[in-house]
Amino acid sequence: MTLSLRGVVVRKGGFTLSADFEIPAEGVTVVFGPSGSGKSTLLSTIAGLCKLEAGRIEFKNRVLENVATRVRTPAHDRGIGLVFQDARLFPHLTVKGNLEYAERRRPAARNAPIAVEIARRLEFDHLLSRPVRNLSGGERGRVALARAIVSAPELLLLDEPFAALDSRRRRDYLTLLRDLSREQGVPMMVVTHHIDDAAELANHVVAVRGGQVVGHGAAADVMATADFASMLDRRDLGARLPASAIGGRNAEGVWVRADSVLLASEEPRGISARHIWKGAVAGIAHEPDGSVLVSLATEAGYISSRITPEALADLRLEVGATAWAVVKAHAL
Amino acid sequence: MVRAMLSAEELQILSTSLGVAGRAVLFSLPVAIAFAWALSRPRFPGKAVLDTIAHLPLVLPPVLVGYLLLLGLGVQSPIGAWLKSSFGIQLALTREGAAVATAVMAFPLMVRAIRLSFEATEPGLFEAASVLRAGPWDRFWSMTLPLAWPGVLAGAVTAFAAGLGEFGAVITFASNVEGETQTLPLAINAALNSPGRDDEAFRLASISLVAAIVGLVLAEALQRWARRRLEA
Repeated sequence: MTLSLRGVVVRKGGFTLSADFEIPAEGVTVVFGPSGSGKSTLLSTIAGLCKLEAGRIEFKNRVLENVATRVRTPAHDRGIGLVFQDARLFPHLTVKGNLEYAERRRPAARNAPIAVEIARRLEFDHLLSRPVRNLSGGERGRVALARAIVSAPELLLLDEPFAALDSRRRRDYLTLLRDLSREQGVPMMVVTHHIDDAAELANHVVAVRGGQVVGHGAAADVMATADFASMLDRRDLGARLPASAIGGRNAEGVWVRADSVLLASEEPRGISARHIWKGAVAGIAHEPDGSVLVSLATEAGYISSRITPEALADLRLEVGATAWAVVKAHAL
Repeated sequence: MVRAMLSAEELQILSTSLGVAGRAVLFSLPVAIAFAWALSRPRFPGKAVLDTIAHLPLVLPPVLVGYLLLLGLGVQSPIGAWLKSSFGIQLALTREGAAVATAVMAFPLMVRAIRLSFEATEPGLFEAASVLRAGPWDRFWSMTLPLAWPGVLAGAVTAFAAGLGEFGAVITFASNVEGETQTLPLAINAALNSPGRDDEAFRLASISLVAAIVGLVLAEALQRWARRRLEA
């Protein structure tokens, strides 16, 4: 059970997207990359809104599109839902009317939550009878997500679903997405350029840059590559730890920024920081800005820390040396 | 009130006009919607031809349109004869014929208004509908028409108002038959052409003017109201 894109080429205006990857059709796949890299085009292509110029797309052993054999399943027959970044609610219908639009077109055999139920989960049941023009950006996003879930797709694609949300709602929304994916058994592909969201949600990652898919696979593997690091802002450099490493959080993983990690050459004592990992120095990289990135192999996984060249000299760190990584709980 | 102000004859003429214009809108609306939809599509072979056909009545002399209808649908023509023998429908010299002539003349107005509103709808909404499993026909009925209906409505009302005043094509194809095809402009023309009926002509002209203005104001108001409802 996979989603596979083989030799896919899509041209849209002057932009070309090439993709060749396969991911399991389960859990949450994060499509990660800088803006303008082709993440949205990738989703549109899978949904059937952009025509392939070459290649083929298969989902759960079903050919959705194959240029060589001139097979093309139109978007409305793919059973793939897409939540657009700009919500795209239907202006001639009420909030409830928008949900019912999806409900009426859902195949009888597909199970899905009742519209009112999902509205309550997403905290907009008091808006059901409203026309959509009066909704705020965040409300629109939640209605659009509910509409897509009510239609019971076999794969749900979400384009930057957190863009219009404040940080508190963002957290709720992340949790909710993971719960929904699990409860409904609906695999999801989520576009984001936010590294924390990516680490928190992703079981798998597809990394996109400059119209090319540059990496794909399990989140732990892809997010540890140099290619992946090269897409990040300097301040976002760091490492992904599995959620189990910090205990108890309802997430897949957590992104630990190198800027928020202290290094110690002896075991720290009498310190307020909640997370201390012992490890061996696995790599030392001198950055163009003069700082030094030290990578530590710990029990929890790789952790990196940004330190000054002076600190490196003081601690006498070299590859293979033992060191402790220290992280404040609030930095996670 | 209208009854008190108008004579029985004037009422008859007004009702003929309303009946002809109303039928004309009914006849041309479905065709106009189909044309407008096709013309709002991106390029396709034959688009220029379709566009020309839709706009032809705008530039042809109305008398010529009436004459062409007579040639195509008159009792002597094959289609006219067939309509008469198979369905007992006669268009020439009847109210239905007047309505057909009016419909042809009002057609470009309708197509324009409807096409503009088809083109103004956000294409992203159709993508959103298709990922919710709405196929092309479904999208037409559930999205295209409801989103464009202010334009459809405005086109229909404008065509109706214009239809009240159609002269050349009607008189050529349906002739001036009192109580059957004699609409306001035909009655005004008849009154002006007979000596001593100037007052009558003036009264009919006033009725015509009021009807046209009411129609235009109504079209504008309906459109504004419908737009407000759709604003996102």
